[in-house]
Amino acid sequence: MSKPTDLVQGTLDLLILKTVALEPMHGWAVALRIRQVSGNVLQVNQGALYPALHRLEQQGWIRAEWGESENNRRAKYYSLTKAGKKYLQKEEANWQRLSAAIGLVLKTV
Amino acid sequence: MRWVKSATHRFRSLFRKSVVEHELDQELRFHLERQIAENVAAGMTPEEARRAAMREFGGVEKVKEECRDERRVNRLETLGADLRYGLRTLRKSPGFAAVSVLTLALGIGANTAVFSMVNALLLHPYKFHDLDTLVRVWEDRGIDEGYDARRIAAADAQDLRGRTKVFESMTTFGWRNFSLSKEGNIQPVLGCRVSANFFDVLGVVPAAGRLFTPSEEQAGFDEVAVVSHGIWQRRFGGDPLLIGKTVQLNGRSYTVIGIMPKDFDYPVPVELWVPLALTPAERAERAELNLEALARLKPGVSVAQARAALGNFSKGLEQEYPKTNAGRITTILELRKELYFYSLPLFLLLQAAAGFVLLLACANLANLIFARMIGRQREIAVRAALGAGRARLAQLFISETLVLSVVAGAVAIMASFWSVSALRKSVPVNWTKWVPGWDGIQVDGNVLAFGILLALGVGVFFGLATVLHTGKVELNETLKDTGRGSMTRAKGRLRSGLVVAQVMFALVLLVCAGLTIQGFVHLASVYQGFEPANVLRIEIALPEKEYPNDVKVANFYRQVLRGSAALPGVRNAALVTNSPASNVDNATTFFSIEGQPVLKASEQPSADLQTANPDYFAALKISLVDGRFFSDGDNRDAMRVAVISESMAARFWPRGDAVGRRIKLGAPDSGEPWITVIGVAGDVRQNWWNPVTRPVIYKPFLQSPERGMTFLLRTVSNPTSYVAPMREVIRQVGPGIAMRGVNTLEEEVVESIAIVRIMGILMGIFGLVALALSSVGVYGVLSENVAQRTREIGIRLALGAHPSDLMRLVLGQALKLTGIGLAIALPISFAVSRAMASLIFGIVSADFRVLLGFTGLLVAVALAAGYLPARRALRMDPMTSLRHE
Repeated sequence: MSKPTDLVQGTLDLLILKTVALEPMHGWAVALRIRQVSGNVLQVNQGALYPALHRLEQQGWIRAEWGESENNRRAKYYSLTKAGKKYLQKEEANWQRLSAAIGLVLKTV
Repeated sequence: MRWVKSATHRFRSLFRKSVVEHELDQELRFHLERQIAENVAAGMTPEEARRAAMREFGGVEKVKEECRDERRVNRLETLGADLRYGLRTLRKSPGFAAVSVLTLALGIGANTAVFSMVNALLLHPYKFHDLDTLVRVWEDRGIDEGYDARRIAAADAQDLRGRTKVFESMTTFGWRNFSLSKEGNIQPVLGCRVSANFFDVLGVVPAAGRLFTPSEEQAGFDEVAVVSHGIWQRRFGGDPLLIGKTVQLNGRSYTVIGIMPKDFDYPVPVELWVPLALTPAERAERAELNLEALARLKPGVSVAQARAALGNFSKGLEQEYPKTNAGRITTILELRKELYFYSLPLFLLLQAAAGFVLLLACANLANLIFARMIGRQREIAVRAALGAGRARLAQLFISETLVLSVVAGAVAIMASFWSVSALRKSVPVNWTKWVPGWDGIQVDGNVLAFGILLALGVGVFFGLATVLHTGKVELNETLKDTGRGSMTRAKGRLRSGLVVAQVMFALVLLVCAGLTIQGFVHLASVYQGFEPANVLRIEIALPEKEYPNDVKVANFYRQVLRGSAALPGVRNAALVTNSPASNVDNATTFFSIEGQPVLKASEQPSADLQTANPDYFAALKISLVDGRFFSDGDNRDAMRVAVISESMAARFWPRGDAVGRRIKLGAPDSGEPWITVIGVAGDVRQNWWNPVTRPVIYKPFLQSPERGMTFLLRTVSNPTSYVAPMREVIRQVGPGIAMRGVNTLEEEVVESIAIVRIMGILMGIFGLVALALSSVGVYGVLSENVAQRTREIGIRLALGAHPSDLMRLVLGQALKLTGIGLAIALPISFAVSRAMASLIFGIVSADFRVLLGFTGLLVAVALAAGYLPARRALRMDPMTSLRHE
């Protein structure tokens, strides 16, 4: 299976960061949440999800802790770090600007 | 802070690998189980649910690998594997490993050893805090006076303190010889009179006791002394109660108030410091430069800014005191660079030569590595076929060459611990005590860092070079090729380029080495003009207190001369201010010639000044060119006379009529008496760095006696056996007078050029290494080139080519490459030798014999490298050579 074509790389990072910003979450829940919130439009490729989580952890935007899951299993919970929060705000603003700009172009041209 | 987290994260990934792997496994398993549970809840059978979950997830192993990649541990891990692989391959080819490690170790070792000297002598000659802000201050009179004569007039120094704002602090000092008498035993001590703030300016504190106070700069309060650690140990047996005791110096009682720490002996090699208590007359002195000075620059003031400010200051003084200060410029020099004039060119040359040795070693190693790469083409192709990208291959090569260079660096550094200390100890202490920092020559942190960086740099460089050299791997061709990998045209060119480079480096290095050695051999015989064999030298410095006037001084020397001349076997008993090869520059003076127009101060001619007795010229067998030498009649009551050197006569009286002319020391309108030239003596080289043609004025001792003189005794044989009799003679005339600098003149000549000889020996070693490396290298590449053409030669022979034509073909190619190398190297060598001649004393000029000799040598090596394998190929049966490969 190849990398997701439906999600640009940077976009997946943004979605993950936004999702774990609410509360600490394990990988499976992150994928589920993105799917649900987007009304089943955004399907996160699971093969890409975990490398992305590890990358974000390596970069220090998120941190991981082991905890008990809903069904009493040990699961790895990801949460946003302070630096990650700042990074998310910046990236969100960037995204808003970019999509607004694209929207403008699409409307007028 | 984020990078700290990243780093700890990566560290954990790398070193707690099993834990991290286990966690990754658990995390992914959890995900799959949830997915399966979800699928089951959606109504699938467990088996179906499992398959669907796996399908959706993709390959578990692939995801794991991607996660590991994201953690960036893979690269580090594979680097470790590559390094281990590099070590293994080296072990498998011990011959290649040994040769390349030794070659590189030689190159790195040469550089490390020389750098240890540069580090100690040029970068850290003194251990004072904030060395870069310390400067020497002196007044430049426009005469090249050298290191020994950087002096300042006391009154000018006082004005300097008040009128300029570039110095934070400034201190003055002056050399003084002392005789230390202890229980009837008299020993010479080299001392220094220093201002009270001398030690503060340098930023040193005593190991015990205290330093001078300003009130001790007054005459009458100045009988206190600070001693060096060395003299405390040697002369006072480390007496723990020395402070407060009195010692006898030049017949006066001084109280010892302090002992300096072990490594402090500034200005080297001083053993004792006393306060600089100037008389009012000395304090007001402006005409004579009677002091030396040191200053610390204010923070933020550069040397150039300070020089500019001092220039203005000097102009002010010149207007105020035109009579004494005309043409004088106060200037400064970083303390670190105090001796650069003598040492910098030598060490730069050595470092450059060591650099060339490394380059040659690298060229040789490149040949070896490239030859190996040709053999490894199939291996590389297989790696590429299995998916190794260019970056991955580069990492492999760099790790291999890194292993090589690091091992070589380790060998070199270990060897340098030994070689550097051997180097330090191989020089007689008598010479090196004058070299600040010599005892600091060692493999310290800086030298280690230098060696390690060099090794790493070489390793990475070779790795990259190998990558570039390998270029794009032609998978199909290489894998299909059943025989040995063959060389492409581009690679052939590269190796030819290496031959050219090797010939080039070798010639330049050989010429430098040859010229340096030639120069040093020349220096050893440079002290022409006098005959050093069978001469004993003894320095005497009479104390001012007991010998206050010329009559007493002259009497002392006359009596000692009479006593020593009466010793059996003494041919001549001579007296001179500064004996040749003393490593001290002569005093210099301006002079005027009678009948010539009055010149501006800056245009006045200058000459070295010596005082000698009538026997001096006979004792050293200095030739008489014209007129006569001194006689006993040239005394205080007679006409003032002088003998001048041959060069001086030729320069100022080119028509050969110097005898009978009159000169005056100083300006023509000064009160000095006119002096008649009565003779012209042969030129004598004072020190190895002085040009032999420097003009010298000799004054008769009886007309201008001085307290400090050197006895020179020419004896029938074995001059050292006259030391004890001379001590007795001197003791009888002046009890309490110490003999200093006792040595034979022959030994003095040898010692005076010790450092130069060491340079010569080192250059000689570098030259030999260069010759060996380049011969091996050139021979290796050329002979392999020919060996690769064995088949071609066979075919040509089979087709009827004449062997002598083929030989000419092969030799022609070897000569062509060598010729290109020589064509590039000859002008470079010529330029380099010209530069060396202008930078380094003793190297006379570019020498064509040296150039031609080494050129011939390299051509011979090239011819041999072509001839031997070609002969083998030609003698082979064509059938055999066709099957060769």
